Amino acid sequence: MVDVSQHELVPEHTVLEEDELEDVLAEYDIDRTDLPKIKRTDPALPDEAEIGDVIEIVRDSRTTDQAVVYRLVVD
Amino acid sequence: MRNTTPKDIGSINFGLMEPEEYREMSATKIITADTYDDDGFPIDMGLMDPRLGVIDPGLECKTCGQHSGSCPGHFGHIELAAPVIHVGFTKLIRRLLRGTCRECSRLLLTEDEKEEFRQQIDQSRKLGRDVNDVTKAAIRQARKKDRCPHCGEIQYDIEHEKPTTYYEVQQVLTSEYSQRIAAAMQGGEDGERTTPDELAEETEIDLTRINEILSGSFRPRESQRKAIEKALDIDLTEEDTNKLMPSDIRDWFEAIPDEDVEALGIDAERSRPEWMILTVLPVPPVTARPSITLDNGQRSEDDLTHKLVDIIRINQRFMENREAGAPQLIIEDLWELLQYHVTTFMDNEISGTPPARHRSGRPLKTLSQRLKGKEGRFRGSLSGKRVNFSARTVISPDPTLSLNEVGVPDRVAKEMTQTMNVTERNVADARRYVSNGPEAHPGANYVRRPDGRRLKVTEKNCEELAKKIEPGWEVNRHLIDGDIVIFNRQPSLHRMSIMAHEVVVMPYKTFRLNTVVCPPYNADFDGDEMNMHALQNEEARAEARVLMRVQEQILSPRFGENIIGAIQDHISGTYLLTHDNPRFNETQALDLLRATRIDELPEPSGIDDEGEPFWTGRDVFSELLPDDLNLEFTGTVGDDVVIEDGQLLEGTIAEDEVGEFGGKIVDTITKVYGNTRARIFINEVSTLAMRAIMHFGFSIGIDDETIPEEAESRIDETIDDAYDRVEELIEAYERGELESLPGRTIDETLEMKIMQTLSRARDNAGNIAEEHFTEDNPAVVMANSGARGSMLNLTQMAGAVGQQAVRGERINRGYEDRTLSHYKPDDLSAEAHGFVENSYTSGLTPREFFFHAMGGREGLVDTAVRTSKSGYLQRRLINALSELETQYDGTVRDTSDTIVQFEFGEDGTSPVMVSSSEEGDVDVEQIADRILESEFDSEAEKEEFLGSKPEPTNLSEHADSRRIAEDVEVTSDD
Repeated sequence: MVDVSQHELVPEHTVLEEDELEDVLAEYDIDRTDLPKIKRTDPALPDEAEIGDVIEIVRDSRTTDQAVVYRLVVD
Repeated sequence: MRNTTPKDIGSINFGLMEPEEYREMSATKIITADTYDDDGFPIDMGLMDPRLGVIDPGLECKTCGQHSGSCPGHFGHIELAAPVIHVGFTKLIRRLLRGTCRECSRLLLTEDEKEEFRQQIDQSRKLGRDVNDVTKAAIRQARKKDRCPHCGEIQYDIEHEKPTTYYEVQQVLTSEYSQRIAAAMQGGEDGERTTPDELAEETEIDLTRINEILSGSFRPRESQRKAIEKALDIDLTEEDTNKLMPSDIRDWFEAIPDEDVEALGIDAERSRPEWMILTVLPVPPVTARPSITLDNGQRSEDDLTHKLVDIIRINQRFMENREAGAPQLIIEDLWELLQYHVTTFMDNEISGTPPARHRSGRPLKTLSQRLKGKEGRFRGSLSGKRVNFSARTVISPDPTLSLNEVGVPDRVAKEMTQTMNVTERNVADARRYVSNGPEAHPGANYVRRPDGRRLKVTEKNCEELAKKIEPGWEVNRHLIDGDIVIFNRQPSLHRMSIMAHEVVVMPYKTFRLNTVVCPPYNADFDGDEMNMHALQNEEARAEARVLMRVQEQILSPRFGENIIGAIQDHISGTYLLTHDNPRFNETQALDLLRATRIDELPEPSGIDDEGEPFWTGRDVFSELLPDDLNLEFTGTVGDDVVIEDGQLLEGTIAEDEVGEFGGKIVDTITKVYGNTRARIFINEVSTLAMRAIMHFGFSIGIDDETIPEEAESRIDETIDDAYDRVEELIEAYERGELESLPGRTIDETLEMKIMQTLSRARDNAGNIAEEHFTEDNPAVVMANSGARGSMLNLTQMAGAVGQQAVRGERINRGYEDRTLSHYKPDDLSAEAHGFVENSYTSGLTPREFFFHAMGGREGLVDTAVRTSKSGYLQRRLINALSELETQYDGTVRDTSDTIVQFEFGEDGTSPVMVSSSEEGDVDVEQIADRILESEFDSEAEKEEFLGSKPEPTNLSEHADSRRIAEDVEVTSDD
C-alpha cells in the first residue's frame, strides 16, 4: 500500500497536544467544534489520531513560506 | 417615513403556530364567502372585512386606525369544520406516524436508543451538520420495531399517498380463507392430502372448529390462523388499508410526549406536532391580496381571495351536511374537497393534484407560487429590487474622456438628481440651480423645506422658489460634471463590472466611456447597453470615490495584474511609434503629445542631415514614463525592453508592455507609483497611441492579404503534395501495410497521420504566404504587436483555411459511410472529410463552405453551452461563498463563526497586489529596500530607525556560549 503521508504533495499532519490546542482555541476564541473538520478515515492522518483530536497541518506557501491550519478529526 | 430608525434583529425563531395563536392574532373571524354587498361596501365578517386592513386611500383601518400605506393589514381566521393536513409538513407527518406507536403515541425507541439519538443530535448541532440525517436514522430504527417497546401494541406500516392521504396497512384474514385452506388440504399436483383430522391434530384446534372454518361459518382467530398457516404452509392474509383521517392523526400526535418529540430534534415548546394539522386557517390581510377595480367599474379579486372563497364555501357545506346527518360517504367527499382547497391555497403546484384554475383556465398563483422561483418574493422582490435614480442606455466610445469619467446625456443628467443640503456656503449655488428650473441643465427638480414638505420645481415657480431657499433646505439638483455615479454592465461577473465614474454631461443620447475600460466591463459598442446609478448620500458617494472609482480597479484580484490598459489600436499605435524608432520633427512631436500633460519637448534626440532637430518615437514615449522608472524584460516582439531612469532605451512598446491583462509597464507603475499615476499613464498612452496611429495612418483591406500568383502556385503545390501523401497513406492502409501507433487502432492511426499531414500542409501554406507579407503589413503589425488577430488568421486569409473539425476529428458525419452525396462511400480522402484548401481571399467552394459551416456551428454551440453552464456554476459558488467574511483577526469565518481559513487566503495577502503568475514572484527584500530608500533622506536616519546590531568582539570561541548563557540569565533573573 502506498503511504500517502510520505508523498511530497501531502503536507505534514501532526496531532496537536492538549495544551497547545488550548492556546490555539484561545487565540481564535472558538470551541473546537468551530474548527474545520477532517475525516478520521483521511489517509493523510497519522495513525494515532482519534476522533476529537485536533490536527495541525503545516503547508508550504509561495507567499508566507509556511501556512498553518488546524482541523478537528470527525467520524 | 423619514424618522424611523432601523432596529437590530436580535434573533429569529422558526416553529409551528398553535391554533390558539391564530385566533389571538386574528382581527375577525371570517364566516361568509361574499366580499362586497350590493352598494359596494365590504361585508362584515366577509373576506374583505374592513378590520383586515385598508387598501382604499382615505379610509381608516378599523383595527389600527391608520390609513392605507401605513396600515400593515391584519390577519383574520376561518374555523375549519374539520381538521386538514398542512401540505408543507406531509413528509414530517409521515415520519412521525411511522416512528410513533399507534396506540400510546410514544416514540418506538427504547430509552437507551432515545438517549443515543438525543446525543447524536446535540453532536450534529455542534459540528454544524444536518440534524435531519440523525432524525431520519432514528425514524428508520423506530420503523424496524414490530411492537411498541412501551405498550406492546403491534405496529403497522404507514403508507403515504401524495399529497395528503395516509393509510395504515394491516394484514388481516382474507375473505376467501376457507377456499384457500381447502385447496391447500387437497395438496398440489404431487403434494400430500391433509385430512381435517390431521389438521386438527397438528394445529390443536377442535375438529368441529376446523370443519366450521372449512365451511366458512367461523373466522379463525389470530392464533388459529397462524397455526393453520404454519401447518399448511400457506398465507391466509391480505392487505387491508385503513385510511387515517386528519382528525385521527391529530389525536395521535396530541398524545406524543414532549420528550419524544425532542428526541427527533423538534422543540416541543415551540412546535407541537399536532399543530401540523390545521383546525384554524389564518386569512391573510387584504393588503396582501388587494382587489383591483377595472375600467368598467367591476372589481377583480386577487387569486388568494378566490381560493379563500372556495375554502369558506366548502367549509360551510361541510358543516351543513354534518349537522343534517349526511351519510359518511358524502362527509368524506366534502372533507377531501376541503383538504384540496386548503392544499392548493398554500401550494398550487403539487404533483399528483390538478392545480386549481381561474375561470379563464389559468392556474391560480397561491402562497407558495408567490415565494418560489426567479420571479418570487425572495429572488425577485428582495434580492432583486428595482431602484430609483438609475438610467440605462447604449454606450459609445469617447477617447477624449479620462478612464475615470463617463459621458452622461444631458437628458439623463436632468432626470437623475443629487441631494444638496443647503448651508450658508452653498446657498448661492443652490439658488442658481433652482432658478434654472427643471428644464435648463444645471437645474433642480425638487426642493424640501425644513418642515419636510417637498415642492416640485417648475418652469413657473422656479424664480420665486429660488429666492426662498435658505440654509436648512434640501435641493435635488441635476447631475453636474464631477459627480460620482456607479456604472455597470451585465453580466456582473466580477467586481470590475460595477465601477464608479465621474460624470461629464454631454449632448446626445448615449453613455460615453473611454475605450480602455472596455476589458473590465467586457463591453464593446455593437449595441451594448449599460446602467448608471446616482448615489443618494454622502457616505455612499465617499465610499464609491475611494473604493470603486475606475482607477482603484486597475489591478484585478483575479490574477493580481492590471486589467485596464491599452487595447487594439492603442497597441498598434505604440508599436508603430516605438518599433522602428521613427523620427519626428518638432511639430510632429508636439502633435503626438498634444493631449498629454507634456507641453514642452525634451532635448531633441538628435539633429538630422538637414540640420533640423528630431525626436525619436521612443523618446516621445519616454515622456509619459515616471522619471525614475527602471525596468528590463523581454517584450512582446521578442526583443529586450530596457527602461532606465524613465527613458525607453530599447525595445518595442506593445501588448506585453502596456496592454490589458498584465502589461508590465502599466502593472509596475500601478504597484510602485500608485493608482493615480497609473491612471494618468494609461490615459496618456492611449491618447499618444491614437495620435501616433493617426500620424502614420492605419488601414486594412482585402489587397493586404493577397499574395502574388507565384506564391499561390507554390501553395497549390504544397497542398497537392499533401494530397499525394494522404493518398499514399490510404493506399497503405487498404493494403493492410499501415503500422498502428502504440495504443491506437489502425483506423485511428490512419486518421491521426492524415490530420498531421494536412495540418503540416496548412502551416506550410501559411509560411509561404507569410514570406510575401512585409513587416509593415497592417495585419502583420496587428498580429506581431498583439493588438488583434494572429498569424493563424493571416494563414487562413492568404494561405489555406485548412482542416475543419467537429469534436476534434475530421468531419465524419452526414450520410452512410460518406459526408456528402458528392463523394463515393468510404472515401477517406482529404477533401471528402472537410479539408479546405482554399483561403478566405480565394474563396471557398460550396462543399468547403458547407464543411466550414459545420465546424463553425460547433464553435457557436460550444460557447452557448459554456456560458450557461459557467453562469449556473458561478451562481452556486457565489451563493455558497457570499456569507463568508474576513474578520479583524485575519480569519475567514462564516455566519456561525466557524473558521473557514485561519488566515485570509492562507497568507493574509491581497490577491490584488500579489501577482498570481509564476514569474511574478514577490521580491520582499527589494520592496523593503525601496521603501527604506524613499522613506529616509540620509543613511544616518535610516540606521537610526533600523538600529544596528554590532557583532560582539570575538575574543575567543568560548565567549560565544558564555554570551548566550548570559542572555538567558538576564531574563530569568527578573
